[in-house]
Amino acid sequence: MTTTLESSTEDTRPETALGASAPAGLGLGRYILIRFVLIFPTVFVLTTVVFFLTRVTGDPITAAFAGRLNAQQLHERIHAAGYDRNILRQYVDYVGQVFRGNFGTTLTDHVRVTSMLRTYGAATLELVFYSLVVALILGPVLGTLAARLRDRGADAALRVFAILTYAIPVFFTGLLLKLIFAIWLGWLPVDGRLSTANEINLQMRGHQSGIDLIDAVRASSWSMVGDVLEHAILPAVTLGLLTTGIFLRLFRTNLISTLDSDYVLAGRSRGVSEWRLTTRHAGRPALIPIITVVGLQIAGLLSGAVLTETTFEWKGLGFELTQYLQQRDYTAVQGIVVALAVVVALVNFVVDVLAALIDPRVRY
Amino acid sequence: MTTSTGRKAGLRQLVARSHGYQRGMLLAGAAITALVLLVAVFAPWIAPYGYAQLRNSHGYFGSQLHPSGQHWFGTTVGGYDVLSRVVWGARTAVEVIVAGTLVGLLVGTLLGLLAGYLGGWLDNVLVIVSDAIYAFPSLLLAIVMSIVISGGSSGLWTGILSAATTTTILFIPQYFRVVRAETLRLKHEAFVDAARVVGAPRQRILFRHILTNATRSLPLILTLNAGGAVATLAGLGFVGFGIEPNSAAEWGYDLNRAQSDVAAGIWWTAVFPGVAIALTVLGLTLLGEGLNDVRDPRLRARRRIRGTATAALTAPATSEHALLELQDLHVRFATDAGTVAAVDGLDLTITAGEIVAIVGESGSGKSVTARAALGLLPDTASAHGRILLAGQDVITAPRRALRRLRGRDAAMVFQEPATTLNPVYPVGWQIAEGIRAHEKIGRREARQRAVDLLRQVGIPDPDERVRYYPHQFSGGQQQRVVIAMALALGAPLLLADEPTTALDVTVQAGILDLLRELRDTRGTAIVLITHNMGVVADIADRVIVMQDGRLVEQADTLSLFHSPQQPYTRQLLQAVPRLGQSERPAAPGGARRSAAHAGIDAADEVVVDVQQLVVDYPGRLGRGPFRAVDDVSFRLHRGEVLGLVGESGSGKSTIARTIAGLVPASAGQLTVLGHSLVPARESRFRAARRGIGYVFQDPTASFNPKLSIGQSIAEPILIHDRPAPAEVRRRVGELLDAVHLGADYAQRYPHELSGGQRQRASLARSLALRPQLLIADEPTSALDVSVQDRVLALLRELHDELHFAVLFISHDLAVVDSLANRVGVLRAGRLVELGERTAVLTAPAEDYTRDLIAASPVPDPVAQAARRAHRAAQLAETA
Repeated sequence: MTTTLESSTEDTRPETALGASAPAGLGLGRYILIRFVLIFPTVFVLTTVVFFLTRVTGDPITAAFAGRLNAQQLHERIHAAGYDRNILRQYVDYVGQVFRGNFGTTLTDHVRVTSMLRTYGAATLELVFYSLVVALILGPVLGTLAARLRDRGADAALRVFAILTYAIPVFFTGLLLKLIFAIWLGWLPVDGRLSTANEINLQMRGHQSGIDLIDAVRASSWSMVGDVLEHAILPAVTLGLLTTGIFLRLFRTNLISTLDSDYVLAGRSRGVSEWRLTTRHAGRPALIPIITVVGLQIAGLLSGAVLTETTFEWKGLGFELTQYLQQRDYTAVQGIVVALAVVVALVNFVVDVLAALIDPRVRY
Repeated sequence: MTTSTGRKAGLRQLVARSHGYQRGMLLAGAAITALVLLVAVFAPWIAPYGYAQLRNSHGYFGSQLHPSGQHWFGTTVGGYDVLSRVVWGARTAVEVIVAGTLVGLLVGTLLGLLAGYLGGWLDNVLVIVSDAIYAFPSLLLAIVMSIVISGGSSGLWTGILSAATTTTILFIPQYFRVVRAETLRLKHEAFVDAARVVGAPRQRILFRHILTNATRSLPLILTLNAGGAVATLAGLGFVGFGIEPNSAAEWGYDLNRAQSDVAAGIWWTAVFPGVAIALTVLGLTLLGEGLNDVRDPRLRARRRIRGTATAALTAPATSEHALLELQDLHVRFATDAGTVAAVDGLDLTITAGEIVAIVGESGSGKSVTARAALGLLPDTASAHGRILLAGQDVITAPRRALRRLRGRDAAMVFQEPATTLNPVYPVGWQIAEGIRAHEKIGRREARQRAVDLLRQVGIPDPDERVRYYPHQFSGGQQQRVVIAMALALGAPLLLADEPTTALDVTVQAGILDLLRELRDTRGTAIVLITHNMGVVADIADRVIVMQDGRLVEQADTLSLFHSPQQPYTRQLLQAVPRLGQSERPAAPGGARRSAAHAGIDAADEVVVDVQQLVVDYPGRLGRGPFRAVDDVSFRLHRGEVLGLVGESGSGKSTIARTIAGLVPASAGQLTVLGHSLVPARESRFRAARRGIGYVFQDPTASFNPKLSIGQSIAEPILIHDRPAPAEVRRRVGELLDAVHLGADYAQRYPHELSGGQRQRASLARSLALRPQLLIADEPTSALDVSVQDRVLALLRELHDELHFAVLFISHDLAVVDSLANRVGVLRAGRLVELGERTAVLTAPAEDYTRDLIAASPVPDPVAQAARRAHRAAQLAETA
């Protein structure tokens, strides 16, 4: 739920950690290489942070089971899991594991975190995808409107709307929407991804991709597709609104900045229409930093997804996370958290490369 | 841009500067935040019951009761009073805000400052760590923290600590980024360099100069931080890691408990806490955004002028062949200081095939006139009168008609080609777009026309280059591309607003030739706006002189230069420096000196000794270093004025900065005031710094905007002498008198002074410790001609009195001619020629120097015409 207001489009070239922004003409290949190399220290830092935070006051087993097991049993379990070894040794092992893609095994039901990612990750992916669709349509459109109608009533209203979407906690939005549309009006289902009947149906078909929309389309059943979308609306809007607000504000600020620029003035002096000026001339330079922000928003979306899934009982990673939390299965929690952080790092890499692809100052 | 004297914008002024809904946002945000704060502080008195209270004297409250007289907000499933829990929750929220923001602010700001200023490996490491943490999903981290700190549900402080620590960790990168970016920008500002030249210790620079100016975005981040802390705490509560009701009231926890209520249609247990969270974060964000908007001039809401443009009642167009006719034009701007008249009653006619120059100093209204002609004034301006372009009145024309006029009946060329071209589209696309905005032609045909246009303006390889992006062209070529864009539709009138001011003199000559060619071959009329009288003499047929928005004099070029009628015109012409008209002696002390070349004369004390100096700028990733100064040698003697001239990239500024110890030398020998700077040893050099004074080019950036003029001037004194405050005041007053400003200027702030006044104050600061060496890096290039004249006269006066050596950097040969004893010519890092001023500037030995002199236009049309012919012959010879 952290947000950022990148308001500067002065230097919109993508940044690498070393040597500030990519100088003009660095070339795409080089930039991608540098950016790729930077993934490793990033993941390293993340793993280190989580590891030391969780080990600062002891170990996951004591935290989970203290009070439920006696000292002997605790000690056995700790020894079995290797938590009584030298802390540095544990650290090195753990980092090694993470880099090999092993995020650990849950305490309560002995499931490997990686397989959990596969099973439930698709559901979260679907939710995040729907909400991004909502946000990427609404955000730039409303942001453009606000920038063009700058300083007038509509602009004010839109900005307050954007701030509200950020201020109202995503779970509250979810609860409200649920209350209004599902309970009072009864238009939409209360929770879940599918009606029970359809769920059983899909399970019987086997070979699921995990993404219900795809599965429903494959099953060539329009009623099922409809069902999927019906269930998706409220969660997608809930999570999507949060990001919409951020995109709206960002797009508005960037667009105002580019609309004020000399090259837009020059374009106007050549007789280019206002519409083209806004969409083509000012739009593209304003869009580039937003792509980068999308990457950063994935983190916020994941946090929001945890809360949204809990609100709507959407059985994805977030939902599972809260279940494990309630059972005090901290190895699971730690594993999922680190895995998600790695995902965020990878997504940011992809996004940065995309932004560089679009920005000609990097390519030539 | 305020009219008040004294400290810059306090809170009251901040509010006063805001308008419309931005003021509403700011005030609403402040009000809500204040409300939350008050509720938090006075919770024990406001809340009807305790946060964990289940009963009173009348018995248990009962669970899930509707809102009623006893329980305004109803009760929860657990039997608590909702209103009390909401009120006490405010206190918890405020506690988490305080805990979760202060540490982050301090640590993030400090780290950002250090990383930005020191750079190197520290910077790289911190940026990597910061970027890694920045992208961490906050709630997840909070959950991990929660486990660590408490193992689960918790008491008040452990609960707050989880949210607070998480928020702190996650927001440190935000403060870090913002402060680092600002520090990086400020590091290169002139006033920071000024402090370094004087020898200010690092802490002083970091805290007094950089930190004080780097805080612009901090209030916004702070409020986002605060909002984030509240939201994270609530999120934790919602997923079941909240604070137990017996320890404190927390809104998120209550929402968690309310989930099951919702399914049963019970709304009051969820809505009230939810609204509380939303309102708190809303108030904080409104406050932050409101503050940010007001402090950032780009985002601030602009005033609009009341009333629309009105058509004038005067007679229609007088001349039939007029391309452009202005009748009694008035243009007013709404500014923070009230309504300003930029153009105050202007009449003007332009006919086909003539080149008309509009000259004036800053504030004369010449640029505004050009913009108005195409209807390109911003919303903050309003125009009255008539502007007739191709038969239409631009002021009253409907938008569609205006759009048709632009580009087709008149086109515009701006000053900075780099910003006039859109960096993310190829130039061919940009040219073609201008064409297709008016004509329906296919893409291929438009591309072909673009290629033709590029060829016409002299771009080599146009078929290839049409696909290039702007940054792949040089400055001069970029301007040619801009001209090509303007010509795309064959407009008969070209408005050129300072088209060559940002270009080197040789490049400028090329562009002027191109403009002349356009007039000769296509009959294009050109309105050239400039402050450079040499350019006017070179190219214009007719000259219009403007001052304060009014037309002062209008005449054909010859008449204007040889017999100016108005006193202002005469003043203006007299202030322009001319080559060969200097009265300065060729060497200090007049006849005593023989023709001195590079350092043979050892009689005078050598202040700066440069031997085979090499300065390299390190290359970025994968690129080699850039050699800015390549084997330069010269000596500067006591009391001598040495002028270094050259075009951009010649290395003249680098030499100045290296001598001042701002840039490390890579090789060679450099001795300044007896101290060797190769290798650079700052601790030993510091003492010598009192002997160096530096004047920078940009008057706006030369002074720390947060310090008064007196404080800035006193800085060298405070660093090296440290006398009593009364003594400091006396000396500052003396210095201000010496530069003809007067002691009362000491209390003023930089933004209250004009450019010329600031340069004089800059001189005062540089002379504070009676230096033996004054380095002046293009000190008058950014000033109006008459102001330049006065500043140069002041410099001459002070030099005569104090006998310091001067290293004077300029691109303007005439200016150097008015001051220097000796002149050095630089090109691409090498010293091409060095000698007596009169020798170098009238009978140069080197071709390059000859080219440079030939390309610099003189403010005399007859002489300039002769020079142009001569130069053309020269170029034809060498071709």
